[in-house]
Amino acid sequence: MSTFTIPVGPLHVALEEPMYFRFDVQGETVANVDIHAGHVHRGIEYLVTKRNIFQNIVLTERICSLCSNSHPQAYAMAVEQIAGLTVPPRAEYLRVIADEIKRVASNLFNVSVLAHLVGFESLFMHVMEIREMMQDVKESVFGNRMDIGANIIGGVRYDITPENAEYLKAQLDKVEPAIAEVTKIYRTNGSILGRTRGIGVLSREDAINCSVVGPVARASGIEYDVRLKAPYSAYPNLQVPVHTLKDGDVWSRAMIRLAEAATAIGIIRQCLVQLPDGPTACTSERPAIPPGEAIAKCEAPRGELIYYVRITDSPRPERVKWRVPSFMNWDALRFMLKDAKIADIAIIVNSIDPCISCTER
Amino acid sequence: MNFIKTLIQNLVSGPSTVSYPFGPAWTPDNFRGRIDFKLASCTACRACEQVCAPGAIRFDKTPEGLRFMMWHNTCVFCGLCEHYCPTDAIRQTTDWHMAHPVKDEFGMAIRETIVYVNCTGCNAKTLSSAPNPVGVEPPFTPEEIEQQRNLCPACRKKALAERGAVS
Repeated sequence: MSTFTIPVGPLHVALEEPMYFRFDVQGETVANVDIHAGHVHRGIEYLVTKRNIFQNIVLTERICSLCSNSHPQAYAMAVEQIAGLTVPPRAEYLRVIADEIKRVASNLFNVSVLAHLVGFESLFMHVMEIREMMQDVKESVFGNRMDIGANIIGGVRYDITPENAEYLKAQLDKVEPAIAEVTKIYRTNGSILGRTRGIGVLSREDAINCSVVGPVARASGIEYDVRLKAPYSAYPNLQVPVHTLKDGDVWSRAMIRLAEAATAIGIIRQCLVQLPDGPTACTSERPAIPPGEAIAKCEAPRGELIYYVRITDSPRPERVKWRVPSFMNWDALRFMLKDAKIADIAIIVNSIDPCISCTER
Repeated sequence: MNFIKTLIQNLVSGPSTVSYPFGPAWTPDNFRGRIDFKLASCTACRACEQVCAPGAIRFDKTPEGLRFMMWHNTCVFCGLCEHYCPTDAIRQTTDWHMAHPVKDEFGMAIRETIVYVNCTGCNAKTLSSAPNPVGVEPPFTPEEIEQQRNLCPACRKKALAERGAVS
């Protein structure tokens, strides 16, 4: 059988962001993959060193809109560590609420795109409409649909008023049964199962060797979640269930995301019950930041996000470096795509929920 | 079969789109939209300029005073200026109707000047900015704000000390 090389990307109908793969195929089967990066490199690590510590909260938020709460949170955690700031308890809970709201919306987005790639457009529209309820929550509570601007250095800059809490609870009461219904569809629908079961398998050994993180790791049976392994914010006081599945295929990753969206709602409810009174930031003015360096990490919707910040006497950070979950996960695509069919390429690539704008910044 | 039930439910609940621009579009009260600037409350502390991530806000010294300038088309609506403003002089409105013809581009800005006045205490040239209320107990009355506005920094300090403020 003859071998061909086919390009997929950088602009491809089925890929959400510009990625470029070169596939060596034998007939319809993938023999080898080449991943080429760098199509959305915007030089953000350089730009960060050109803005002061407070401006960077906004810049890091705009690295990627889907994890736009995790970036400023990890950055703020690192700067707070350098400055020795103590975040008030209420702010810690508010950070968790913001994080989990983003997680529900982000996971639903990826799962809906899976339905779109399978060709099940009505399910895609339906899941996007469920996500729209969370978008309404973000717009009502934070004032923006994607860049919610919850974090500042030393706390948060939004507050949950009693009216907001009522609205949030009412929306959660609508979203929760909708997610349960969708989970049932993904578990039983023939079109979904036929295209996703046993496709793009990442074994537990390969997952460990590739150091994958987030839902990709948990779908391969690795119980790794930063919220449990290195609890931050209010997570030590909350019940955070970790979901794992053994198969490591596209379907398992989708099911993990749906399960995590459902538990995120439970975590938001716990936060609303436990929410302590008090200030939402350690100071209403800009705190003084001494020189120093720190590392902080948090669990973004796609997995572990690590920030390194180094500050000298200048008001601008000397170096900010971050390792995003997609960086670890997209290397594992080589294993997932091994012996895959050409038609499954887009589904497998989408299953790691790649965030190229984070990875290439 | 599950999905047929979902489809029927969606059919009954009707379309979820709105008829904007022919009908109203829902805007929440907390929406972070177009910047609004209240010159009378500005203390000229320039915190907004320093935190503005895209550099949409600038203060320039002019012969008349200190000019506040803000470009709407550069703004990213992050709201840091509003958060760090000590007097709510700068805030975000719920207005998001910002589409405009290219010819109006240079009008999409706020340009206001905090003028120079002569201090009523020592007659020195000073900026007529609002006093910074942070830490002032009891808070300024409207008359006191007007009185402080026409004083130089040194005379402001003296007036604050005379009223027994902790500032």
